[in-house]
Amino acid sequence: MPVFKTPFNGYSVRFSPFYESRLAVATAQNFGILGNGRVHVIDLSPTSPTINELIAYDTADGVYDVAWSESHDSVLVAAIADGSVKVYDTALPPQSNPLRSFKEHAREVHGLDYNPTRRDSFLSASWDDSVKLWTLDRPASLRTFREHAYCVYSVAWNPKHADIFASASGDCTVRIWDVREPGSTMIIPGHEHEILSCDWNKYDDCLIASASVDKSIRIWDVRNYRVPLSVLNGHGYAIRKIKFSPHKRNLIVSCSYDMTVCLWDFMVEDALVGRHDHHTEFVVGVDLSVLVDGLMASTGWDELVYVWQQGMDPRAV
Amino acid sequence: MSMRELVTGGAACAVPGSSSSSSNPLGALANALIGSSSKTQERLREIPNAAAPTSDTQFYSQVDDSVAALPGSELDRPFLHSNAQGSDFIRGLRSFDDNGLADAWEEIQRQPHLDHLYDPAAAPIQPTLDGPPQRVLSSFLHSFVDSSRSGIPLHPTPLPLLGLSQGDKQCIRDRSSIMARHFFADKSEDFINAQVNALLSSLEIENDVRARGPVPGRFRELEDYWNESQGILKPGARSADGWVTEFSQYTAQHGDTNAWVRSFEQQHGASSWASEFEQEQAQLTSIDHLNGGDVANLAAIEQTRMLAHTLSQNDDPKFQNSKFLQFLSKMSRGELIIDDNQVKPASGSWATEYQQQYNGGGTWADEFVHNEVFRGPDQWVNEFATERERHEQADDQWVNEFSKLHVDDWVEEFGHQVGEGILGDTSSDNWANAYDEFLNEQVAAKQRSDASSGVYVFSDMNPYVGHPNPLKEGQELFRKGLLSEAVLALEAEVMKNPENAEGWRLLGITHAENDDDQQAIAAMMRAQEADPTNLEVLLALGVSHTNELEQAAALKYLYGWLQHHPKYGTLAPPELGDSLYYADVARLFNEAAQMSPEDADVHIVLGVLYNLSREYDKAIASFKTALKLKPNDYSLWNKLGATQANSVQSADAILAYQQALDLKPNYVRAWANMGISYANQGLYEQSIRYYVRALAMNPKADNAWQYLRISLSCASRNDMLEPCDSRNLELLQKEFPL
Repeated sequence: MPVFKTPFNGYSVRFSPFYESRLAVATAQNFGILGNGRVHVIDLSPTSPTINELIAYDTADGVYDVAWSESHDSVLVAAIADGSVKVYDTALPPQSNPLRSFKEHAREVHGLDYNPTRRDSFLSASWDDSVKLWTLDRPASLRTFREHAYCVYSVAWNPKHADIFASASGDCTVRIWDVREPGSTMIIPGHEHEILSCDWNKYDDCLIASASVDKSIRIWDVRNYRVPLSVLNGHGYAIRKIKFSPHKRNLIVSCSYDMTVCLWDFMVEDALVGRHDHHTEFVVGVDLSVLVDGLMASTGWDELVYVWQQGMDPRAV
Repeated sequence: MSMRELVTGGAACAVPGSSSSSSNPLGALANALIGSSSKTQERLREIPNAAAPTSDTQFYSQVDDSVAALPGSELDRPFLHSNAQGSDFIRGLRSFDDNGLADAWEEIQRQPHLDHLYDPAAAPIQPTLDGPPQRVLSSFLHSFVDSSRSGIPLHPTPLPLLGLSQGDKQCIRDRSSIMARHFFADKSEDFINAQVNALLSSLEIENDVRARGPVPGRFRELEDYWNESQGILKPGARSADGWVTEFSQYTAQHGDTNAWVRSFEQQHGASSWASEFEQEQAQLTSIDHLNGGDVANLAAIEQTRMLAHTLSQNDDPKFQNSKFLQFLSKMSRGELIIDDNQVKPASGSWATEYQQQYNGGGTWADEFVHNEVFRGPDQWVNEFATERERHEQADDQWVNEFSKLHVDDWVEEFGHQVGEGILGDTSSDNWANAYDEFLNEQVAAKQRSDASSGVYVFSDMNPYVGHPNPLKEGQELFRKGLLSEAVLALEAEVMKNPENAEGWRLLGITHAENDDDQQAIAAMMRAQEADPTNLEVLLALGVSHTNELEQAAALKYLYGWLQHHPKYGTLAPPELGDSLYYADVARLFNEAAQMSPEDADVHIVLGVLYNLSREYDKAIASFKTALKLKPNDYSLWNKLGATQANSVQSADAILAYQQALDLKPNYVRAWANMGISYANQGLYEQSIRYYVRALAMNPKADNAWQYLRISLSCASRNDMLEPCDSRNLELLQKEFPL
């Protein structure tokens, strides 16, 4: 399956919601600790197992995450370590990019999610402990959600309810928010350790998964969040990102500092259904294609982006 | 409180009940006006494009309505009347056509920064995004990380300067603190803190300010640890600790940290708590750092050992091979250090120097610990804490009072208290005395280390011992370019006639050309002992010390050159010799250059001086002027090349080195420099050939071996690492013919 080499350390990879062969990759120099960043837009070749770069955008600080616009096929937003959120339009000439640079977060922006139902707004999660709501046409954020007591690492819109989202934070909680409400509507003290990622089940709008430094993934039902529905153990180090499959109700993909990508079925006894150790450094980015069932991608600090079909070996040529 | 907070309504200005300040349009205006970016330059470049014509219009015009309909958007609520100005601003922005908008943005962006006080030097990381310096930094770090051999001295000089700004350091500090909590998930908080401290101390970053500390709620034990690990060895940090202790005491007394946080948040808004805490710490510790910085290193070494140990404990081969973990551990073990804003591997001499400073430091620490004086700050903290307690017994009172105090006032007050001698004059005086003593110790240690590094090491088995005229032989060999042979002959000469300045001088020059600055300096110092006024010797010493980045020493010798020069000696006021400042010396040489613009030597010294101050353009101009006067001076061509390489003109540098090599084909240093220039351009394969050539001429050039190793791993020629490590020149030459 195709591999793409990035000059910097990979941080995030996302499939385009419009083109099945297109992905965006966020990278940062020197492991994101210091240096520049780059956003790559890459295309899978239809004929051969190769990846071609469509365009790349340089930034003066590391890029920690990217998210595709759900309304414009050429637009993507990038989370920059300098606290800014930048908007790029691949249809515009390079000198016109970035189209926008929103600078409100006081610290590194670590996570982004574009609203998949309303399609007109997106969220940014930052190490300044806040989450902000943005639209592309406003010079300033629409709202700031400030309740977490430590870095917010990731945000995820509910796939069904357009105004509901969840945030995962180093304060060991997942919070559920309704943008119509002033404060958070639910606080799930999910783990004893920092929570680095969260995602909603795409088929059951009440299920949410959280992934933590404690090496576990926990599945919660927001109607009864006192005990987790399921606990998935198997990673050897902190879990960096999790995604529910858009195609299979019970499938979760996760990536971890243990340098593996794992596949889980949270409804069965032996939940771990697949493990890929194709990366040689921490794996920090993973995504599943909405358009192609079973197509997945991962990136890590070994500066490689792998794209493969579920059931195949990512390294197989 | 800063101007910014007043305007944005952040911190204490926050209206109770309003959940955020940035949604306040007035705040938005202030944000736009004052700017919240630390990278204005970059934004200046970008924002004019924001009015990109084409798809923009269709893309943005429609959104207004939908956004107004977006539930929860605070903008769809009626504005408070006090915000009228702000909403006007937003409306005004939108009513502009594309160009107008762009202009408005540009206007906004040009406003000066007010919130930039902490870090006036922060600029975009590198003006060129993927320029050679950045690439060199990365490939250098990565390749060094690759190296399995540890602690090999590596010559830092020829690397382009990779200055890390204050902002960069803050990034490293904050991000590594946060990330370490993810990597070391299994370990205790104590351990994680130790790792971070070790890393930061090795990087010579002030780690007193833990801008992103641990998760709240675990504060207590962390602070205890912090006090324990830092306080003992770091008298300077006391005052900051006092604050922390006070906080811990408060928590201990009242049990519920959250109550404290909550009430504080009510006053200030959640995030301002963190930022205020940070500010205070920053301000307090900026004073502390002055005293604490060096001592912090003492603590670091123990902690680094622990880190190295833990990293090696995971027996998963993948982990053993993780470049990132190696990178972390290298940095933590002090094998990569930042010295004078340069990332460089710690050299051997650094280690010894460190060791010696250690010894000095140890006695100092002992003295400090045993001395009553040390209790001064301690007492102060206690006193302060009890005083505070007396003042603010009731919870609310404490919080209220604290929140009433502006941050700056607090610090000021603190300053006053210290200034007015709340500690009691004696204790603070004693403290100062002890600190002076410590400084003296350090100076002494430094001098000792200078002396030890300046000892000339003779080769064993010298066939020229007993030669009737080794000096003449040495000169002849040197002329022929047989530098390693010339070294032996000249060593025989100076063993025979230790007072022969010319012998020592030529020996020094030979070593310098043979790419061995340590020996060159040692020989030149002997030459200077024999003849303190020899101009060539003084110039050579100045150059060698510049290569070693020892500004003070370099200035001393360059100034000595001027002082003893028959023509310019009058320019040098003797009283200046005691305290040399770069600016003074540079001024004198500029005067000299005006006096006799035809003297190539003056231009050469000027070029060296500008290298010292990193004004490479000026240095290049000086060397070029000198070259017009002395076009056949191969070492001058080499200097020009090295300067060009330092100023990231590696392609030009290669031309200059080529000139030097045309004039003197056996000029080892130029061959090695050539390799460095190719490596800097990413042409590793090419650079390997030049290093191998240089090494074939002088296998003792340790630096070149190290460079070769880096280039081999950058060029993915791991198969040749073994021959490199075993110094198998025959094989290397066969593999990489030039």
